[in-house]
Amino acid sequence: MAKKKSDKSDENSKNQDSDASSNSEEPNFSDPEGYEEDISDSELLKDILKQKPKETDGYESVIVVDGVPQVGPNRIEKLKSVINKVFGKFGKIVNEYYPLKADESTKGYIFLEYSNPNHAAEAVELANKFKIDKQHTFLVNLFTDFAKYEQIPDKWEPPQTRPYEGQADLHYYLLEPDAYDQYAVVTAQGQSVQIWQNTLPDPSLIEERSNWTQTFIKWSPLGTYLSTFHKLGIALWAGPEFLQYKKFAHANVQYIDFSPCEKYLVTYSPQGESNNPDKKIVIWDIRTGQEKRSFNIDSTSPWPIFRWSHDDKYFGRIGNDVLSIYETPSFGLLDKKSIKMAGIRDFNWSPTDNIVAYWVAEDKDVPASVTLLELPNRNEIRKKNLFNVADCKIHWQTSGDYLCVKVDRYSKSRKEKNEMKYSGMYCNFEIFHMREKQVPVDSVEIKEPIQAFAWEPVGTKFAMIHGETLSINVSFYEVKVGLAPILLKKFEKRACSHLFWSPNGQFIVLAGMGSNGGSLEFVDTQEFLVMNTTDHFQMSDVEWDPTGRYVFTGVSFWKSKVDTGYWMWSFQGKILKRINLERFAQVLWRPRPATLLSEKQQKEIKKNLKKYYAQFESKDRMRQSKASKELIEKRAALMEKFREYREENIKQWQEKKARRLALRNNIDTDELGADTENVEEEVVEFFVKEEIIPID
Amino acid sequence: MKPIILHGHERSITQIKYNREGDLLFSSAKDNKPNVWFSLNGERLGTFNGHQGAVWCIDVDWTTTKFISGAGDNTCKLWDCETGKETGNIKTMSSVRTCMFSYSANMAVYSTDKAMKQPCEIFIIDVRTIDSSFSQQQPILRIPISGPRVSSILWDNLDEMIITGHESGEINQWDLKTGKKINSTKEHDNLINDMQFNKDGTMFITASKDHTAKLFDTETLALLKTFKTERPINSAAISPIADHVALGGGQEAMDVTTTSTRAGKFDSRFFHLVFEEEFARVKGHFGPINSVAFHPDGKSYSSGGEDGYVRVHTFDSSYFEYNFDY
Repeated sequence: MAKKKSDKSDENSKNQDSDASSNSEEPNFSDPEGYEEDISDSELLKDILKQKPKETDGYESVIVVDGVPQVGPNRIEKLKSVINKVFGKFGKIVNEYYPLKADESTKGYIFLEYSNPNHAAEAVELANKFKIDKQHTFLVNLFTDFAKYEQIPDKWEPPQTRPYEGQADLHYYLLEPDAYDQYAVVTAQGQSVQIWQNTLPDPSLIEERSNWTQTFIKWSPLGTYLSTFHKLGIALWAGPEFLQYKKFAHANVQYIDFSPCEKYLVTYSPQGESNNPDKKIVIWDIRTGQEKRSFNIDSTSPWPIFRWSHDDKYFGRIGNDVLSIYETPSFGLLDKKSIKMAGIRDFNWSPTDNIVAYWVAEDKDVPASVTLLELPNRNEIRKKNLFNVADCKIHWQTSGDYLCVKVDRYSKSRKEKNEMKYSGMYCNFEIFHMREKQVPVDSVEIKEPIQAFAWEPVGTKFAMIHGETLSINVSFYEVKVGLAPILLKKFEKRACSHLFWSPNGQFIVLAGMGSNGGSLEFVDTQEFLVMNTTDHFQMSDVEWDPTGRYVFTGVSFWKSKVDTGYWMWSFQGKILKRINLERFAQVLWRPRPATLLSEKQQKEIKKNLKKYYAQFESKDRMRQSKASKELIEKRAALMEKFREYREENIKQWQEKKARRLALRNNIDTDELGADTENVEEEVVEFFVKEEIIPID
Repeated sequence: MKPIILHGHERSITQIKYNREGDLLFSSAKDNKPNVWFSLNGERLGTFNGHQGAVWCIDVDWTTTKFISGAGDNTCKLWDCETGKETGNIKTMSSVRTCMFSYSANMAVYSTDKAMKQPCEIFIIDVRTIDSSFSQQQPILRIPISGPRVSSILWDNLDEMIITGHESGEINQWDLKTGKKINSTKEHDNLINDMQFNKDGTMFITASKDHTAKLFDTETLALLKTFKTERPINSAAISPIADHVALGGGQEAMDVTTTSTRAGKFDSRFFHLVFEEEFARVKGHFGPINSVAFHPDGKSYSSGGEDGYVRVHTFDSSYFEYNFDY
C-alpha cells in the first residue's frame, strides 16, 4: 500500500514537471508526501462534530432510585408494577434495570431510563423522598449526578477573590450645585426615553436612548433608580451614565412597587411566567438582586397589593377576613400568623410610624369601624365605630400628624341580586388627631358628593372638590391641635376634577382632566389668591417637580392622538415652555429624598431669603443675558449667510433682466412702480364713520 | 385693523390670488363660481360663471386681461378679465388640479388628476390667441406623470421650465424644450398643497400636509429654510417687502368636528423668513385656511378658508415697527 502510494506520488511529481513545461490542463491538488495537515478536525468539522454522539449521551435520562423494597423473585412482578405506576407518570420509561443478588432477590436500588432528560429531572424533583410505605422512602437521583459528585476534588481550593468593582455615585444628581432637577420623557411606539436636566434658561438633554423600555418607566421613590419594563423583567438604571444597576427576571411584569426606603422591589406579573404560572408576585432585594419571596395571589385588590411601612420593616396585605403582616428581612409572617379581622376592607400604613389604619364593613348588628393598630405589638390605639357606611377611604397626612377617613354614608339601603344598593348618599370626614392624647376624632359632614380629596403635604390644610356636575366647588379646611377643622375658603363653580398640591405645601393646582378638560388654576392657599387661570386642552397629566418650583402638564399619546406634548409652568402658573412632541407618552420628575436640614435650619433659610434672593436674581440675569447674547449671535450668523446667498441670487436675477423684458413687451414689471407709463392713478374715497363708544 | 370679510362664496375657498398690481383679488371655491374683488374695499367686481364643478385652481396673467381656471367638471377654462366672459374651454379626462400662466402669458400650464383610470398629466398650451378653434388646438407639450400626482405647480420667470410639487412630497423641475425632468428633490413627507414664489422668483415656499413649510432655491431646488408647526399647512406666502412668511392651515377639515374650535388652530401664522421663528398669529377663520396671499405692496394680506370666507387684513403700524434683534 505504502509503496503504491509512493509510486503514485512519484508519478504525480513527474506530472508536475511536465505540467510546468507543457502547461497542460489539470493542475495537481494532491498533498506532497509526508504532508501533515496543521488544521485539526475540530476546526474543520466544527458543526458536524457537534452532532457526534458522546459517551455520556442518554445518561441524562437515567435515574437511580434508592430505597426500593428488596423482594424475592416471586414478588418482582408486583414491585415492577408499583414502580411503573409511580414513575410512569413522569414520562415514558424506555429501559429499566433491577440488579439482583446471588439469591435472585433485588438489591434495593434500580435504574430507570426515560425517553427524555426533562422527564428524568421531573421525576427527581417530584418523586424524591416519596414514601412508598412505612419502611421505604424512595431516594431518587439523576445518574449524571453520581458522576458529577464523584469528580469533586478532595482538596478544597478557596475561590479567587474578584477585584473590587466600585460603583458610580448613585446620588450624584443631588450634588448639582444649582439644584437643577432631572426629568424623564417617554415617547410611545419606539419607546425612546430622554433624560433632561432642567437647567436655566433652557433644559439640557443628558441622555437619550431608543427602545430603553418596552412600555413605560418608573423612578424609585427617592429617585436613585430608573426602572424600565421589558418582556423578561425589570431593569434598574442608576449613576451618572445610567448604567444598568440590576436586572430582575420576571416575565410579563405589568406593575412594580418600590419599598419606601428603596430596599425592596415588588414585581407583579398577572399571568405569571410561562413555565411557572404560580409565580405572580416576587419581592426582590434591590441591592443584591436576589429574590426574597414569591407569592401566587389572584387578587382583585388594587395595586399595590402589598403595602410597606415607612421604614421597610414590615409589609402587609389583605386576605380573606385577615390582615397579613410580614416582616423583613425574614419575609415571614409577623408572629407566624395573620391577624384575624372579620370584614376587613382596606388598610394603610402611617407615613411616619408603624401604625396601620384599617376599616371593617358593617355586618348585621356589628357596626363598621375604623381602627388604628400599632405594630409589631398589635396594640389597638383607637377604634371608632361608624354607622350606615357604604365605603371608606383612608388618607394619611404626609407628616403622619393626622389621619382623615372619608366615609360615604347612606340613608337607605336595599339588597338587589346580592349587591347592596345605596341611596341618599352623603359624606363624612373623620379626622384623627394622631399626636394628641387618646387620639381625639372630629367629624365634618358634607352633603354633596365628593370628587377629590387631598392633604397639604406639608402643613395642616386639606382640600376637597365637591358638588354635582355644573356646580363643582372646591373647599379648603384647616386642622389645628384641639380644634375641629375650620373651613378656610370655598371656591364656587369651578371646572376642575383633580387636586395637585405642591410637594412643599401652600400652592395647589386645581385641574380639570378628561377628554374635554384642560382647565388649570394655580392657587396660593396662604391668602387664597388665584394666581393664574389658564388651560392646556385635553391635558392628562399634572406633575409637580420635587422642589415645588415647576409644574408639568402633559397630553399623553395614551389618552389623545392630537397635540400631544408637555408644557412647563412656574408654580405661579406662568407658562415657561411648550413642547409639542409627537407620540409623547410620559413625563416624570426624578424624585428627591427628604431634606437633611433640620426644621430650625430650614426656618433660618426662609428668614434670610432676601439675602439669597439678590444672589439668585443676579445669577438668573447673567444666564438670561448670556442666552440672549447667544441667540442674537446665532441670528446674526444666519442673517449674514442668507444675505450672501441673496446677493448672489439678485446679481444673477439682474443679469437676466433683458430676457424678462423681452418676454413682457419691454415693460418693466420687476418693481410695482417701475412701469410709470402704463399706470393710471385712481383716487378712491371711503366714507368712514367714526364712533367712540366707551366700554364700562 | 379690522379685516374686510368677503362673503361671496357658498362653499370652502380653494385658492386666492392677487393680480400683479394688487388692486384685484381673485378667489375660487368649491361652489363653481370664481369671484373677483377690489382688494381695497372688498367690493365684488364680478363672477366667472360657467363651471359645473368645484373650481380647484385659478390664475391671472400679468396684464390682467386673461384669467384661467381649472375645475372638477373636467374642464380648464379661459376667461376675459374685463368682461368676465368665457373665451376658451378645454375638455380634460379628469379634474384639473393646478393651472398657471407663464411669465410672458403666451403659454399656460395645467395638470389633471390621477382619477377615473386616467393618469396624472401636465399640459402646456398656447394662449396667445383664443378663438373658436382654441378648444380643438393641440397642446404644445404633454408630460404624463407615472408616479404620485402633481398637487401644485409653478412656472419660472423665463418661460423655460416648470416646477411641480407632488402628492408624495417630491418636487421636480421640467425642461420645457425637451419635456424631461431635470432636477428632483424630496424634502417633504406628505402632499405639497401650495407653492408660491418670492417677489423676484428666485426662491419659492412650499406648504405641506407634513406640518411644515419649506423655502427652496428655484434654480437648484436647494432647501434653504424650514418652518415647523403642529398642523397640516395648506398654503404659504412670502412677503414682498419684509423677511416674513405667512402660513395658513389647521386641522384637517374631516377631523374638525371631532374637537372644539380652540384645538383646531385655524390661525394665520407669521414666521421670520431667515430665523424660522414664529412671531405673530392672526385669528379669525373657524375652519382651516386653504389659501393665503400677500398683496404685492406687502401692506396687507388675504386668507381664504374652509369656512367659505376670504378675509383681507391690512397690517397695523405695529407690524411694521416690529423688529427682530440681531
